[in-house]
Amino acid sequence: MGHEARKGALRDFYTPLVAAMGYKFTPDDELADFLLEQEAALEETKGAPYCPCQVRTREREHDMTIVCPCIPFHRAHFDAMRRCWCGLFVHQDVTDPDSLPQIPASELGIRE
Amino acid sequence: MAESWIKVADEGALSDGRALPVYPRGLGMLLVRAGGAVYAIANRCAHMACPLEGGACEAFIITCPCHDWRFDVRTGAFVEAPEIAVPTYPVRVTDGEVFVHL
Amino acid sequence: MSDPIFVYALSTCPWCHKAKKYFEDKGVVFEAVDIDLLPDDESDRLAAEAFELSGSRAYPVVRIGGEVIVGFLPERFDQLLEAEA
Ligand code: FES
Repeated sequence: MGHEARKGALRDFYTPLVAAMGYKFTPDDELADFLLEQEAALEETKGAPYCPCQVRTREREHDMTIVCPCIPFHRAHFDAMRRCWCGLFVHQDVTDPDSLPQIPASELGIRE
Repeated sequence: MAESWIKVADEGALSDGRALPVYPRGLGMLLVRAGGAVYAIANRCAHMACPLEGGACEAFIITCPCHDWRFDVRTGAFVEAPEIAVPTYPVRVTDGEVFVHL
Repeated sequence: MSDPIFVYALSTCPWCHKAKKYFEDKGVVFEAVDIDLLPDDESDRLAAEAFELSGSRAYPVVRIGGEVIVGFLPERFDQLLEAEA
């Protein structure tokens, strides 16, 4: 651990953004804390709070589409799952995030 | 403070493709000239609050230098998700002087 | 018996951890690599390989037999392991 202040700041930045898109932080606090910790570390070492569950290509055009919250760039996919890929955000009406499996984009006919 | 029109720049200071930072009453905003009109947009990204200053301006779109979120200077809307926006301010150009309404 | 099970993973990704734990708990032989912990060129090579197989930059990417699964999908893993057995 050790990024407590930055994790709080990221949470504050993201909360209104994802709310505007119909999402909220996962009620799974342990998962949220782990993911925010990863993001704060990625921001420190790689320059941006990248999605911890997607791989960077080091091409800016791609990598900027996986900076958290990356919902705007993967909307159809995430709306279909009712969560984002890593599960940090879920649709506002979700109370049991464990009931939402990952669904590969390809299975939804969506190009990543 | 009463709402009013505040002079922020001379029109001659503006050029297409380059945003001009101004600070009426200490509020950071950018003037952008595009499509023959002038727009004022808050100099603070909706994503993580980076200054939009220095970001590329192409037609009506300004790109945040931090993580490339793109905003339409006419409405402030984030291009990829228009329900997210940065504030914009009314602009009036009179006799070569640019005013914003606050 | 086809290719060994291979998990393309990221050390930062909880679903990758779960996928590895799944195979551990099953006691099957598998290989897993956290590609974000490798030097850039090696990491790029494996990321390109995973993308070639899956069309995905979302992780984990799991190779089981001839199949490629994107995500932590235990039911799917179960089916494929049964098919292999
Ligand atoms: S702060 Fe502007 S894109 Fe991230």
